[in-house]
Amino acid sequence: MTVSASVGAGAIPHNTLIGVGLVGSLVGIYLTYLNVITGLQVFSFFGGIGAVLALVWGSNTIKTLCSYGIGTGVPSAGMLSFGSGVIAMLFATRYGVAAPIVGLVLAAIVGAILGYCANQIVNMKIPVMIQSITEMAAIGALTIMGYTAMAAGSFSMIPLMSASHLDAGYWATFIGASFIVVVFILGAMAIQHPFNATLGPSWQQDRMLYLAVECGFLSMIVIAVISFAFLSMNAALVSLVVSLAGWLYFYMEYIRLSKRDAAMWLDAKPIVEPEGH
Amino acid sequence: MSAIGAKPAAGAEVNTTASIIGLILTLIIIGALYVITKDISMTMALIGVIIGGVLVGFCVHFMPVGGAPAAMGQAPGIATGVAMLAAGAGLAGLFGGAWAAELGMMVAIVAGAVGGGLMMAITCLMVSVIYVFGMGIPAASGKSKIDPLTGDTQVEFKSQGTEGHGLPFISYVGGVIGGLLGGAGGTLVYIELLYLYEKELPALLQAPMPEDVKIVAVSLAGIFAVGIFLVSSVLAAYNITGTTEGPADPKFKRFPRDIVASLLASAICGIFAILIVAL
Repeated sequence: MTVSASVGAGAIPHNTLIGVGLVGSLVGIYLTYLNVITGLQVFSFFGGIGAVLALVWGSNTIKTLCSYGIGTGVPSAGMLSFGSGVIAMLFATRYGVAAPIVGLVLAAIVGAILGYCANQIVNMKIPVMIQSITEMAAIGALTIMGYTAMAAGSFSMIPLMSASHLDAGYWATFIGASFIVVVFILGAMAIQHPFNATLGPSWQQDRMLYLAVECGFLSMIVIAVISFAFLSMNAALVSLVVSLAGWLYFYMEYIRLSKRDAAMWLDAKPIVEPEGH
Repeated sequence: MSAIGAKPAAGAEVNTTASIIGLILTLIIIGALYVITKDISMTMALIGVIIGGVLVGFCVHFMPVGGAPAAMGQAPGIATGVAMLAAGAGLAGLFGGAWAAELGMMVAIVAGAVGGGLMMAITCLMVSVIYVFGMGIPAASGKSKIDPLTGDTQVEFKSQGTEGHGLPFISYVGGVIGGLLGGAGGTLVYIELLYLYEKELPALLQAPMPEDVKIVAVSLAGIFAVGIFLVSSVLAAYNITGTTEGPADPKFKRFPRDIVASLLASAICGIFAILIVAL
């Protein structure tokens, strides 16, 4: 069939996705800093775009790791990634404008140590384990930071936790209102779902990546709704429109790819096994 | 605990060198915190967090985790993954303990343990009801010939081609013990961080009224406790690799290496959770 020839499995190498995810998410998160420079708040949605790029990278990392059969289900890897990522990210908020870079580095350190725990101490002996968990922790930190920047308009500690700039009390801050927990679980669902939903004999990389983008935008819609509480009406509306439009486009693309791959299966052809599970 | 890492466990080899490196790294992290902060109470808080994280990792080994095969009646245990089950029990316990945070540490930890144990007891009961009356399968262990607690024979009830099915009594008891330990561990992590943040956050945020910052301290301690809980329970899940029947399962003997892994993982996560208010 021509389709399988033109869209080979794993067409995009993992290193390319690391580059896109790493640079893209850092640029996206830093573009929200335009809020501080210009005094406007409409640039917040770039944080969400950065988080989506990190999630695309993350879905491929989960695929790399879980292809080895870790035996505990795909979601556990997402939970590990965000559990360690949120710790590094919250610590990094102390460093103001350097927060995304500090968060990335710290998450990678935590991830490397957790990878050592899993691979050497627990003795799983999976070749990609340490690299994958290092990447996953970094992805968790970048995703949470991106969504946080989108919802609250900033990634520094004082705007996120201090009520000195608000009329209301500390309960109205981003951390005080515990929105960080919502961001945590929205990101964790978005990272674990793409590979979990597309794995199987006719797994195709492009379909999984489109689903990752779709999940990222779906979480962005909720973050945009949260941002109405922290940003001006215009800024929050821009975020909401961007997330809705992005979600709709990638949802339709994902359905198109699903029909493509499902039709191959319904024709009762031998099942294509691209990478061998 | 230093002897545990060196003892080889049956059925699963222990990487002695890596375990010793893990224990040394843990001690280095604890020492580093003391050197950075020069504050004994923060170092004690880190040790509390580490003990909590280890309890969480240990609790997972008691849980009867069946996974997808259990949903089809082909393996004993509760039909979900390790991380989900541990998070469910531990977070239920954490909520229980958080309510009692004002009443002192011991009351809160016991409340957390009761909350986690209760959650697992209800889950195991309802799972048994669904297995027996909904799916029509009896409880039979695949790994042990007789139940160690009741002495009931298991082999006659086990269907051919399965690894056992339903929820044997030993797995039920293991689930409740796991819930107790997980709830206590999760609450210990939360309480240690909460007391620290309540003390240190007002100065950091330059709040005029220290009482106001409490809500930020609760939220921050909660999300850090969730993070450390998930990290510790997923590492334990990797140690079990898939399904377990609880304390009667041979995989239970693998726990020493998970304790070393949990020590190091909780230490590295805990030091960042504490340094956020210390630097």
